[in-house]
Amino acid sequence: MYIIDCYSISPQKTFDESFFEGQVEGFVGNKYHAIEPSYADLIPRGLLRRMGKAVRIGIGAGLPLIEKQKDIDGIIIGTATGGLDDCIKFLNQIVEYDEGTLTPTNFVQSTPNAIGGHLAMMSKNTGYNNTHMGIGTAFESTLLDAFLLFEEGEASKLLIGNVEETSQHHYNIDAYAGYFKTEEISSTELFNSNSKGSICGEGAAMFVVSNKKENALCKLVDVHQFTYPKSENIEERVSQFLEKNNMSLQDIDSLVLGFSGDNRYDFWYTNLMNSFPKSTVYSYKNLVGEYPTSSGFATWLATKILTGKKTPNKAIYKDANRTPKNILIYNNYLGAQHGFILLKST
Amino acid sequence: MEAVALKAKLKTQIIQYLNLLDITPEDIKDDTPLFGEELGLDSIDSIELIVLLEREYGIKITNPTEGRKVLVDVEQMAAYILEHSENLK
Repeated sequence: MYIIDCYSISPQKTFDESFFEGQVEGFVGNKYHAIEPSYADLIPRGLLRRMGKAVRIGIGAGLPLIEKQKDIDGIIIGTATGGLDDCIKFLNQIVEYDEGTLTPTNFVQSTPNAIGGHLAMMSKNTGYNNTHMGIGTAFESTLLDAFLLFEEGEASKLLIGNVEETSQHHYNIDAYAGYFKTEEISSTELFNSNSKGSICGEGAAMFVVSNKKENALCKLVDVHQFTYPKSENIEERVSQFLEKNNMSLQDIDSLVLGFSGDNRYDFWYTNLMNSFPKSTVYSYKNLVGEYPTSSGFATWLATKILTGKKTPNKAIYKDANRTPKNILIYNNYLGAQHGFILLKST
Repeated sequence: MEAVALKAKLKTQIIQYLNLLDITPEDIKDDTPLFGEELGLDSIDSIELIVLLEREYGIKITNPTEGRKVLVDVEQMAAYILEHSENLK
Protein backbone atom coordinates (compact mmCIF):
# COMPACT_ATOMS: atom_id res chain seq x y z
CA MET A 1 0.00 0.00 0.00
CA TYR A 2 1.05 3.60 -0.57
CA ILE A 3 1.26 6.53 1.83
CA ILE A 4 -0.15 9.57 0.06
CA ASP A 5 -0.30 12.02 2.96
CA CYS A 6 0.73 12.23 6.60
CA TYR A 7 0.59 14.51 9.65
CA SER A 8 2.16 14.35 13.06
CA ILE A 9 1.67 16.02 16.41
CA SER A 10 4.55 15.19 18.71
CA PRO A 11 6.90 16.69 21.32
CA GLN A 12 8.71 18.19 18.33
CA LYS A 13 7.07 20.89 16.26
CA THR A 14 6.11 18.45 13.53
CA PHE A 15 2.72 19.86 12.55
CA ASP A 16 4.54 22.36 10.31
CA GLU A 17 7.97 22.48 8.64
CA SER A 18 9.85 23.71 11.74
CA PHE A 19 11.34 20.29 12.58
CA PHE A 20 12.91 19.82 9.15
CA GLU A 21 14.12 23.40 9.15
CA GLY A 22 16.28 22.45 12.11
CA GLN A 23 14.12 23.60 15.00
CA VAL A 24 14.64 20.60 17.27
CA GLU A 25 13.31 20.77 20.81
CA GLY A 26 15.59 19.59 23.61
CA PHE A 27 14.22 18.33 26.90
CA VAL A 28 15.37 17.77 30.45
CA GLY A 29 13.31 15.47 32.62
CA ASN A 30 11.26 12.35 32.26
CA LYS A 31 8.30 13.55 30.23
CA TYR A 32 8.17 14.91 26.72
CA HIS A 33 4.85 16.66 26.09
CA ALA A 34 3.38 17.17 22.64
CA ILE A 35 3.55 20.60 21.04
CA GLU A 36 0.03 21.15 19.78
CA PRO A 37 -1.13 23.35 16.93
CA SER A 38 -4.00 25.81 17.24
CA TYR A 39 -7.25 23.93 16.80
CA ALA A 40 -9.37 27.08 16.40
CA ASP A 41 -10.12 26.56 12.71
CA LEU A 42 -10.42 22.79 12.97
CA ILE A 43 -12.44 21.83 16.03
CA PRO A 44 -15.63 23.64 17.15
CA ARG A 45 -15.11 25.14 20.60
CA GLY A 46 -18.09 23.29 22.01
CA LEU A 47 -16.34 19.99 21.20
CA LEU A 48 -12.81 21.14 21.99
CA ARG A 49 -13.63 22.09 25.57
CA ARG A 50 -14.62 18.50 26.35
CA MET A 51 -11.77 16.75 24.58
CA GLY A 52 -9.07 14.97 26.49
CA LYS A 53 -5.58 15.14 25.06
CA ALA A 54 -5.65 11.79 23.24
CA VAL A 55 -8.83 12.69 21.38
CA ARG A 56 -7.64 16.24 20.78
CA ILE A 57 -4.28 15.34 19.21
CA GLY A 58 -5.87 12.44 17.32
CA ILE A 59 -8.45 14.75 15.78
CA GLY A 60 -5.82 17.45 15.31
CA ALA A 61 -3.62 15.10 13.28
CA GLY A 62 -6.33 13.16 11.45
CA LEU A 63 -8.97 15.68 10.51
CA PRO A 64 -6.74 17.91 8.33
CA LEU A 65 -5.92 14.82 6.25
CA ILE A 66 -9.55 13.75 5.89
CA GLU A 67 -10.54 17.26 4.87
CA LYS A 68 -8.06 17.06 1.99
CA GLN A 69 -9.18 13.56 0.95
CA LYS A 70 -12.92 13.34 0.59
CA ASP A 71 -13.01 9.69 -0.49
CA ILE A 72 -11.75 7.94 2.63
CA ASP A 73 -13.26 4.44 2.93
CA GLY A 74 -12.50 3.94 6.61
CA ILE A 75 -10.57 4.92 9.70
CA ILE A 76 -8.22 2.65 11.67
CA ILE A 77 -6.48 3.81 14.85
CA GLY A 78 -3.86 2.14 17.00
CA THR A 79 -3.69 3.24 20.63
CA ALA A 80 -2.57 1.26 23.65
CA THR A 81 -4.32 3.38 26.24
CA GLY A 82 -6.54 5.95 24.48
CA GLY A 83 -7.74 8.68 26.83
CA LEU A 84 -6.34 7.13 29.97
CA ASP A 85 -6.39 10.37 31.94
CA ASP A 86 -10.16 10.72 31.48
CA CYS A 87 -10.57 7.03 32.27
CA ILE A 88 -8.85 7.44 35.63
CA LYS A 89 -10.79 10.63 36.38
CA PHE A 90 -13.99 8.70 35.73
CA LEU A 91 -12.92 5.80 37.95
CA ASN A 92 -11.97 8.22 40.71
CA GLN A 93 -15.40 9.83 40.46
CA ILE A 94 -17.04 6.45 40.99
CA VAL A 95 -15.16 6.14 44.28
CA GLU A 96 -15.44 9.79 45.34
CA TYR A 97 -19.18 10.02 44.75
CA ASP A 98 -19.95 6.52 45.95
CA GLU A 99 -21.21 5.30 42.58
CA GLY A 100 -23.74 8.16 42.46
CA THR A 101 -24.49 10.48 39.55
CA LEU A 102 -21.42 10.72 37.32
CA THR A 103 -20.58 13.16 34.55
CA PRO A 104 -20.60 11.59 31.09
CA THR A 105 -17.75 13.61 29.58
CA ASN A 106 -14.82 11.76 31.14
CA PHE A 107 -16.34 8.41 30.24
CA VAL A 108 -17.04 9.41 26.63
CA GLN A 109 -13.49 10.71 26.20
CA SER A 110 -11.84 7.76 27.90
CA THR A 111 -12.74 4.93 25.55
CA PRO A 112 -9.94 4.23 23.06
CA ASN A 113 -12.36 4.14 20.12
CA ALA A 114 -13.46 7.72 20.94
CA ILE A 115 -10.64 8.95 18.66
CA GLY A 116 -11.79 7.03 15.59
CA GLY A 117 -15.41 7.74 16.53
CA HIS A 118 -14.89 11.49 16.76
CA LEU A 119 -12.96 11.50 13.47
CA ALA A 120 -15.80 9.63 11.78
CA MET A 121 -18.54 11.86 13.19
CA MET A 122 -16.74 15.11 12.48
CA SER A 123 -16.02 14.09 8.88
CA LYS A 124 -19.37 12.26 8.47
CA ASN A 125 -17.47 9.13 7.48
CA THR A 126 -19.73 6.09 7.80
CA GLY A 127 -17.20 3.54 6.56
CA TYR A 128 -15.11 0.92 8.34
CA ASN A 129 -13.98 2.13 11.77
CA ASN A 130 -11.72 0.11 13.97
CA THR A 131 -9.35 0.65 16.89
CA HIS A 132 -6.47 -1.65 17.78
CA MET A 133 -5.17 -1.75 21.34
CA GLY A 134 -2.43 -4.37 21.28
CA ILE A 135 -0.13 -2.24 23.45
CA GLY A 136 3.33 -2.19 21.81
CA THR A 137 2.09 -3.50 18.47
CA ALA A 138 -1.21 -1.59 18.25
CA PHE A 139 0.12 0.49 15.36
CA GLU A 140 1.50 -2.57 13.56
CA SER A 141 -1.95 -4.18 13.91
CA THR A 142 -3.45 -1.06 12.37
CA LEU A 143 -1.18 -1.46 9.35
CA LEU A 144 -2.05 -5.14 9.08
CA ASP A 145 -5.75 -4.30 9.19
CA ALA A 146 -5.27 -1.83 6.32
CA PHE A 147 -3.29 -4.39 4.28
CA LEU A 148 -6.09 -6.93 4.74
CA LEU A 149 -8.81 -4.48 3.73
CA PHE A 150 -6.91 -3.60 0.55
CA GLU A 151 -6.23 -7.27 -0.19
CA GLU A 152 -9.91 -8.13 0.19
CA GLY A 153 -10.92 -5.21 -2.00
CA GLU A 154 -12.93 -3.67 0.82
CA ALA A 155 -11.22 -0.28 0.59
CA SER A 156 -9.05 1.76 -1.73
CA LYS A 157 -8.15 4.66 0.59
CA LEU A 158 -7.96 4.74 4.38
CA LEU A 159 -7.01 7.03 7.22
CA ILE A 160 -4.78 5.16 9.64
CA GLY A 161 -2.69 6.28 12.58
CA ASN A 162 -1.58 6.06 16.15
CA VAL A 163 -2.37 8.15 19.22
CA GLU A 164 -0.90 8.05 22.71
CA GLU A 165 -1.16 10.59 25.50
CA THR A 166 0.71 10.96 28.71
CA SER A 167 -0.76 12.39 31.89
CA GLN A 168 0.17 12.56 35.54
CA HIS A 169 -2.00 9.52 36.34
CA HIS A 170 -0.57 7.53 33.48
CA TYR A 171 2.99 8.54 34.30
CA ASN A 172 2.61 7.57 37.97
CA ILE A 173 1.27 4.11 37.15
CA ASP A 174 4.00 3.34 34.62
CA ALA A 175 6.69 4.88 36.82
CA TYR A 176 5.76 2.42 39.59
CA ALA A 177 6.26 -0.35 37.06
CA GLY A 178 9.79 0.94 36.40
CA TYR A 179 9.16 2.12 32.84
CA PHE A 180 10.83 5.51 33.30
CA LYS A 181 14.17 6.75 34.50
CA THR A 182 14.34 7.88 38.10
CA GLU A 183 17.13 10.37 37.45
CA GLU A 184 16.70 13.61 35.49
CA ILE A 185 18.38 13.41 32.15
CA SER A 186 18.57 15.59 29.06
CA SER A 187 17.38 14.33 25.69
CA THR A 188 20.88 14.78 24.27
CA GLU A 189 22.29 12.40 26.91
CA LEU A 190 19.49 9.83 26.74
CA PHE A 191 21.42 7.22 24.77
CA ASN A 192 24.46 7.53 27.04
CA SER A 193 22.50 7.19 30.26
CA ASN A 194 23.17 3.46 30.80
CA SER A 195 20.38 3.16 33.35
CA LYS A 196 17.00 1.47 33.62
CA GLY A 197 13.88 3.05 32.15
CA SER A 198 13.18 5.49 29.37
CA ILE A 199 11.35 8.81 28.95
CA CYS A 200 7.58 9.17 28.84
CA GLY A 201 6.45 10.53 25.48
CA GLU A 202 3.25 11.05 23.53
CA GLY A 203 1.98 11.93 20.09
CA ALA A 204 -0.25 11.20 17.15
CA ALA A 205 0.79 10.34 13.62
CA MET A 206 -1.80 9.96 10.90
CA PHE A 207 -1.54 8.69 7.33
CA VAL A 208 -3.74 8.48 4.29
CA VAL A 209 -2.93 5.17 2.63
CA SER A 210 -4.09 3.99 -0.75
CA ASN A 211 -3.90 0.85 -2.85
CA LYS A 212 -2.95 3.02 -5.83
CA LYS A 213 0.48 4.53 -6.50
CA GLU A 214 -0.88 7.85 -7.75
CA ASN A 215 0.47 10.83 -5.71
CA ALA A 216 2.30 8.47 -3.34
CA LEU A 217 4.94 9.78 -0.94
CA CYS A 218 6.32 6.26 -0.54
CA LYS A 219 5.32 2.62 -0.51
CA LEU A 220 4.59 0.87 2.77
CA VAL A 221 5.71 -2.59 1.71
CA ASP A 222 5.05 -4.84 4.68
CA VAL A 223 4.65 -5.13 8.44
CA HIS A 224 5.53 -7.92 10.84
CA GLN A 225 4.87 -8.20 14.56
CA PHE A 226 6.03 -10.73 17.11
CA THR A 227 6.20 -11.11 20.88
CA TYR A 228 8.80 -12.37 23.35
CA PRO A 229 11.40 -13.50 20.80
CA LYS A 230 14.74 -14.92 21.82
CA SER A 231 17.37 -12.23 21.30
CA GLU A 232 19.53 -14.47 19.12
CA ASN A 233 16.61 -14.85 16.68
CA ILE A 234 16.38 -11.23 15.66
CA GLU A 235 18.73 -11.46 12.66
CA GLU A 236 17.02 -14.61 11.44
CA ARG A 237 13.64 -12.94 11.78
CA VAL A 238 14.64 -9.82 9.91
CA SER A 239 16.24 -11.90 7.14
CA GLN A 240 13.06 -13.92 6.73
CA PHE A 241 10.99 -10.74 6.71
CA LEU A 242 13.13 -9.21 3.98
CA GLU A 243 13.28 -12.44 1.94
CA LYS A 244 9.49 -12.55 2.02
CA ASN A 245 9.62 -9.16 0.32
CA ASN A 246 12.32 -10.21 -2.19
CA MET A 247 15.00 -8.19 -0.42
CA SER A 248 18.22 -8.91 1.44
CA LEU A 249 20.00 -7.23 4.36
CA GLN A 250 22.21 -5.37 1.86
CA ASP A 251 19.19 -3.73 0.22
CA ILE A 252 18.34 -1.77 3.35
CA ASP A 253 20.12 1.57 3.16
CA SER A 254 18.45 3.11 6.22
CA LEU A 255 17.20 1.90 9.57
CA VAL A 256 14.85 3.73 11.92
CA LEU A 257 15.44 2.15 15.32
CA GLY A 258 13.63 2.61 18.60
CA PHE A 259 16.64 3.15 20.87
CA SER A 260 15.08 4.38 24.11
CA GLY A 261 18.05 4.77 26.46
CA ASP A 262 16.78 1.89 28.61
CA ASN A 263 19.77 -0.34 29.26
CA ARG A 264 17.51 -3.36 29.65
CA TYR A 265 16.24 -3.27 26.07
CA ASP A 266 18.56 -1.26 23.81
CA PHE A 267 20.65 -4.35 23.03
CA TRP A 268 17.85 -5.45 20.70
CA TYR A 269 18.55 -2.48 18.45
CA THR A 270 22.31 -2.82 18.71
CA ASN A 271 22.05 -6.49 17.71
CA LEU A 272 19.87 -5.68 14.71
CA MET A 273 22.03 -2.71 13.72
CA ASN A 274 25.08 -4.98 13.60
CA SER A 275 23.42 -6.89 10.77
CA PHE A 276 23.34 -3.70 8.70
CA PRO A 277 26.89 -2.28 8.96
CA LYS A 278 26.52 -0.08 5.86
CA SER A 279 23.14 1.44 6.69
CA THR A 280 22.36 4.88 8.05
CA VAL A 281 20.60 4.63 11.40
CA TYR A 282 17.96 7.10 12.57
CA SER A 283 16.64 7.38 16.12
CA TYR A 284 13.48 9.07 17.36
CA LYS A 285 12.81 8.37 21.04
CA ASN A 286 15.39 11.02 21.98
CA LEU A 287 13.02 13.39 20.16
CA VAL A 288 9.56 12.18 21.18
CA GLY A 289 10.05 9.81 24.12
CA GLU A 290 8.87 6.23 24.59
CA TYR A 291 5.24 5.16 24.26
CA PRO A 292 3.57 1.96 23.07
CA THR A 293 2.70 3.12 19.56
CA SER A 294 5.81 5.20 18.89
CA SER A 295 6.41 3.22 15.68
CA GLY A 296 3.70 5.51 14.26
CA PHE A 297 6.06 8.44 14.67
CA ALA A 298 8.89 6.32 13.21
CA THR A 299 6.73 5.66 10.14
CA TRP A 300 6.00 9.38 9.79
CA LEU A 301 9.74 10.13 10.06
CA ALA A 302 10.62 7.42 7.51
CA THR A 303 7.99 8.76 5.11
CA LYS A 304 9.47 12.25 5.36
CA ILE A 305 13.00 10.88 4.88
CA LEU A 306 11.87 9.07 1.72
CA THR A 307 10.39 12.28 0.34
CA GLY A 308 13.81 13.90 0.63
CA LYS A 309 13.38 15.97 3.78
CA LYS A 310 16.66 16.94 5.42
CA THR A 311 16.65 15.13 8.73
CA PRO A 312 17.95 17.05 11.77
CA ASN A 313 21.27 15.73 13.07
CA LYS A 314 19.69 14.77 16.38
CA ALA A 315 17.64 12.15 14.54
CA ILE A 316 20.75 10.54 13.03
CA TYR A 317 22.25 7.83 15.21
CA LYS A 318 24.84 6.69 12.65
CA ASP A 319 25.41 8.30 9.29
CA ALA A 320 26.51 6.01 6.45
CA ASN A 321 25.89 8.60 3.73
CA ARG A 322 23.36 6.47 1.92
CA THR A 323 20.53 7.84 -0.20
CA PRO A 324 17.36 6.62 1.49
CA LYS A 325 15.39 4.29 -0.75
CA ASN A 326 14.59 1.27 1.39
CA ILE A 327 13.91 1.90 5.08
CA LEU A 328 13.39 -0.71 7.76
CA ILE A 329 11.77 0.39 11.02
CA TYR A 330 12.34 -1.79 14.06
CA ASN A 331 10.70 -1.01 17.36
CA ASN A 332 9.98 -2.94 20.51
CA TYR A 333 8.04 -1.96 23.59
CA LEU A 334 9.71 -3.00 26.84
CA GLY A 335 11.37 -5.89 25.04
CA ALA A 336 8.07 -7.74 24.86
CA GLN A 337 6.34 -6.67 21.65
CA HIS A 338 8.33 -6.16 18.49
CA GLY A 339 7.54 -4.87 15.03
CA PHE A 340 9.18 -4.48 11.64
CA ILE A 341 7.83 -1.99 9.10
CA LEU A 342 9.33 -1.81 5.62
CA LEU A 343 9.05 1.28 3.42
CA LYS A 344 10.34 2.02 -0.08
CA SER A 345 10.65 5.15 -2.14
CA THR A 346 8.36 5.34 -5.15
CA MET B 1 -26.09 32.49 51.48
CA GLU B 2 -27.45 35.55 49.78
CA ALA B 3 -28.77 35.32 46.24
CA VAL B 4 -26.15 37.70 44.85
CA ALA B 5 -23.25 35.73 46.30
CA LEU B 6 -24.81 32.44 45.22
CA LYS B 7 -25.23 33.63 41.64
CA ALA B 8 -21.59 34.74 41.48
CA LYS B 9 -20.44 31.39 42.83
CA LEU B 10 -22.72 29.52 40.44
CA LYS B 11 -21.25 31.30 37.42
CA THR B 12 -17.75 30.25 38.46
CA GLN B 13 -18.90 26.67 38.99
CA ILE B 14 -20.66 26.51 35.61
CA ILE B 15 -17.45 27.64 33.88
CA GLN B 16 -15.42 25.12 35.84
CA TYR B 17 -17.75 22.14 35.39
CA LEU B 18 -18.33 22.74 31.68
CA ASN B 19 -14.75 23.88 30.96
CA LEU B 20 -16.08 26.92 29.09
CA LEU B 21 -13.09 28.28 27.22
CA ASP B 22 -12.55 32.04 27.14
CA ILE B 23 -15.70 32.76 29.17
CA THR B 24 -15.46 34.65 32.47
CA PRO B 25 -18.13 34.95 35.17
CA GLU B 26 -18.63 38.54 34.02
CA ASP B 27 -19.67 37.28 30.58
CA ILE B 28 -22.62 35.41 32.07
CA LYS B 29 -25.50 37.68 33.02
CA ASP B 30 -28.08 36.47 35.50
CA ASP B 31 -30.61 36.15 32.68
CA THR B 32 -28.29 34.84 29.93
CA PRO B 33 -30.03 31.74 28.51
CA LEU B 34 -27.90 28.69 29.36
CA PHE B 35 -28.92 26.89 26.18
CA GLY B 36 -28.92 29.77 23.75
CA GLU B 37 -26.33 30.84 21.21
CA GLU B 38 -24.33 32.91 23.68
CA LEU B 39 -23.01 30.04 25.81
CA GLY B 40 -23.65 27.30 23.26
CA LEU B 41 -24.47 24.58 25.76
CA ASP B 42 -25.97 21.27 24.67
CA SER B 43 -27.64 18.17 26.12
CA ILE B 44 -24.41 16.75 27.59
CA ASP B 45 -23.94 20.04 29.41
CA SER B 46 -27.41 19.72 30.93
CA ILE B 47 -26.29 16.44 32.54
CA GLU B 48 -23.13 18.16 33.78
CA LEU B 49 -25.29 20.90 35.35
CA ILE B 50 -27.50 18.31 37.05
CA VAL B 51 -24.34 16.71 38.47
CA LEU B 52 -23.18 20.18 39.61
CA LEU B 53 -26.43 20.73 41.53
CA GLU B 54 -26.15 17.34 43.19
CA ARG B 55 -22.49 17.56 44.15
CA GLU B 56 -22.31 21.20 45.19
CA TYR B 57 -25.77 21.73 46.66
CA GLY B 58 -27.11 18.26 47.44
CA ILE B 59 -30.05 18.69 45.03
CA LYS B 60 -31.16 15.71 42.96
CA ILE B 61 -33.16 16.41 39.84
CA THR B 62 -34.75 13.22 38.59
CA ASN B 63 -37.74 14.66 36.75
CA PRO B 64 -36.82 15.99 33.25
CA THR B 65 -39.75 18.46 33.32
CA GLU B 66 -38.43 19.92 36.55
CA GLY B 67 -34.94 20.09 35.03
CA ARG B 68 -36.20 22.12 32.07
CA LYS B 69 -37.70 24.70 34.47
CA VAL B 70 -34.53 24.99 36.55
CA LEU B 71 -31.79 24.97 33.92
CA VAL B 72 -32.94 28.15 32.21
CA ASP B 73 -30.48 30.76 33.43
CA VAL B 74 -28.39 31.54 36.52
CA GLU B 75 -31.31 33.44 38.07
CA GLN B 76 -33.59 30.38 37.92
CA MET B 77 -30.89 28.00 39.09
CA ALA B 78 -30.03 30.19 42.08
CA ALA B 79 -33.69 30.55 43.05
CA TYR B 80 -34.17 26.78 42.90
CA ILE B 81 -31.03 26.16 44.95
CA LEU B 82 -32.09 28.63 47.65
CA GLU B 83 -35.45 26.94 47.85
CA HIS B 84 -34.30 23.32 47.82
CA SER B 85 -30.73 23.03 49.02
CA GLU B 86 -30.30 21.54 52.47
CA ASN B 87 -26.60 22.43 52.27
CA LEU B 88 -27.40 26.16 52.43
CA LYS B 89 -29.87 25.96 55.29
